[in-house]
Amino acid sequence: MNGSPSVFLALREITKQFGDFSALDDVNLQISEGEFFTLVGPSGSGKTTLIRILVGMESPTSGEIHLKGNTINDLPANKRPTCMVFQNLALFPHKTVGQNVEFAMKIAGVDSQTRQKRALELLELLRLPLDFYDKNINQCSGGERQRIALARALAFDPEILFFDEPLSALDFRLRKTLEKELKDIHRETGKTFVYITHSLEEAMVMSDRIGILNEGKLIQIGSPDDIYNRPKNKFVAQFMGEVNTIAVDRIGQSRVRDSKTGGEFDLDSQAQEIDSGFLIIRPEVMKIGRSAQFMPNRIEGVLFNDYALGSRIQYQVRSADGENHWLIERLQDDPFSGNAGDSVVIGWRPEDSILVDQ
Amino acid sequence: MQSSRQGKVVRALIVVWTGAILIFLYLPMLSVVMASFTKQRYFQFPVKMWDTRWYEKAFESLSVRDLFWTSFSIATLVTVISVVMAFFGALAFARYDWKGRKLYQRLILLPIFFPQAVLGLALLLWFSSLGVTTSWHTAVFSHLIWILPIVTLIMSIQVYSFDPVWEEAAYDLGASRLQVLREITLPILSPGIVSGAIFAFLLSWGNFPLSLFTTGADQTIPEWLYSKMVSGYTPMVPTLGSLTIGGAAGIVILSFVILNFYRKLRGRR
Repeated sequence: MNGSPSVFLALREITKQFGDFSALDDVNLQISEGEFFTLVGPSGSGKTTLIRILVGMESPTSGEIHLKGNTINDLPANKRPTCMVFQNLALFPHKTVGQNVEFAMKIAGVDSQTRQKRALELLELLRLPLDFYDKNINQCSGGERQRIALARALAFDPEILFFDEPLSALDFRLRKTLEKELKDIHRETGKTFVYITHSLEEAMVMSDRIGILNEGKLIQIGSPDDIYNRPKNKFVAQFMGEVNTIAVDRIGQSRVRDSKTGGEFDLDSQAQEIDSGFLIIRPEVMKIGRSAQFMPNRIEGVLFNDYALGSRIQYQVRSADGENHWLIERLQDDPFSGNAGDSVVIGWRPEDSILVDQ
Repeated sequence: MQSSRQGKVVRALIVVWTGAILIFLYLPMLSVVMASFTKQRYFQFPVKMWDTRWYEKAFESLSVRDLFWTSFSIATLVTVISVVMAFFGALAFARYDWKGRKLYQRLILLPIFFPQAVLGLALLLWFSSLGVTTSWHTAVFSHLIWILPIVTLIMSIQVYSFDPVWEEAAYDLGASRLQVLREITLPILSPGIVSGAIFAFLLSWGNFPLSLFTTGADQTIPEWLYSKMVSGYTPMVPTLGSLTIGGAAGIVILSFVILNFYRKLRGRR
C-alpha cells in the first residue's frame, strides 16, 4: 500500500488550520526505518505544529499519518509507540534521575529490578556516571539533563523518537558536542530519529536527510549535500547563513545580467532553467584582490570592513554608491592585506555560483 | 572605621526592630497562657500564684469535650471539602486559559473582602427563609464560603509554577490521564495542597463571626470563649484559649514534620 516496503512513517497531505490561519499546507513526507530526519524551519514555519501532530498531541485538520502501513491519526499520544524529547526537556522535578529514566517502564508495569537494570544500561550508553541514578534532577547540569531526557525517551523503546529542538537553550560548545553525541547514539541504537530545529547548521551535522519547512509548506527534501549545494530557491539558499545574493535575468544559455547594475556574469553549465531569479555565491568561494583579477565574473567595489570569525576572516565590500554589499571569507592564515576605503576587485568562478528561483 | 561603626548601629537597629515586632505579635498570646496558669480568679501581672487545676478541669469537663468535637468536626469537614474544591478551582484559576477566567479570578476572591459578620448574618437570613435549621452542619457551609477562596488562592500560587509540559511528557511516555494525575500533577502540587489544607483547618478552627451566626444550638470553642467573656468569666477561658493556640501550633508543627519526612523518603528512593 505504501509503494515501497522500506517506508516507515508516511505523511499524506497533512493540513492544519487554526481558524483562517494555515499552519501546515499539504505536507507529504516519507521517512525510512533507522533514518535521522530533520525538519528545519524558521519560527512560525509550522514545524512545532507538525511534530505535535506526529506525536499525537494535536490532530491534523485533514490528511493521514501512517506508521508501518497503519493509520495512526486517531491514536492518542499515550497509545502511540513514539515519544518525544521536549524543547525544555520536561524532566520530572520531583523524581530522581533513576525515577525519570524508569518512568515509562513503571507505567508499562515492568518490575523494579528489570527497570533499574535497564536504567543503568541507559545511563552507561549516554556516558552518565552510574551514581547519577539517585541524584536529584535539579542538581544536574544542562548537558547532563539532555542526556537524562534522552535516556528517559529511549527507555520507552519507541518506534520513532522525536526531538523538539532540545539543544536550542545550550551554549555553543556544548551544543556542538551534543550534536555529535546524538548522531553517535543514533548509530548505536539504530532507532528512527525525527528532529526539528531552526538551525540548518545543526541539521547538517546530524541528519541523513533534511526537510525545509517555510510558512507551512515543505519546500525541499534532500541530503545535507543536496540542500547545501543544490538549494531549490532563494529561501533555502539564504537559510544556511550569510550568502551573496544577486537578482539576475537570463540573457543567454550560460549568461545572466544583474537586474540592478546591468553587470553580466557567466553561469555554470549545469544551472537550472530559470528566466529570472537569484545568483547565490557563498562568501567562502568569493575571491578578493589578486586572486579575483583573473576570474571570469568580477565586480569592483570598496573595502568597507573586516570581521574575525575564528578560523576565517570575513571582508565586506560595498559598491561605490553604497547600494550593494558583498561578503568574502578567507582562511585566517591567508588574510587579504588592504585597508578600509581601498578600491578592490572581487570575483568568482561560474561553477561556484548557484542560480535559484524566487 | 566609620563604616564599620555604622554597620554595627544598623545591625543593632535591626535586632531591636525585629525584637519589637515579635513582642508585639506574641505578648498577647503569652499573656493568655500566663492567665491560664493563675490561681486567682482574675488575671494580674506579675502572676503571684501558679496553678494548673484549670487544665485538669478542662480535660475532665464534658462540655469542653463537646466544644472541641464541634470545632474539630467543622474544621475537618471544611478542610476536606475546600481542599478538593480548591484543587480544581486553582487549576481553573492558574492553569487553564478559558473564556471568563479573568472574571472568575475576581469573583472568587470577593468573599474574602466581605465583612464576616455581614456574611454570617446574610447566611442566617437565607437559612431561615429556606427553612434550614442551623447547626454545626450549616456552619461548615458558611465557613466554606469564606475559606474556599483563600485556599484556592494559596493553591494557585503553586499551580502557577507548574509546567503543563510535565503532564504532556508523562502522557507521551504512555501514562493514562489518571496515572498522570497520580504520578505527576498531585505530587508536584502537593506542597500547595498541604499548605492549603493547613490554612483551611486553622481558619475554620479559629473562626468566630461566621460560627456565631450559623451554628444554631451548637457551640464552637471561639463562641464559648466569647460568651464566657461576656458573662461568667473563670480562668477556664484563658485555659481553653491556650489549648486552642496549642492545638493550632501542634497541627502546623505536625504537618512540617510529615512534609519533611515525605521529602526525605522521596530523596532516598
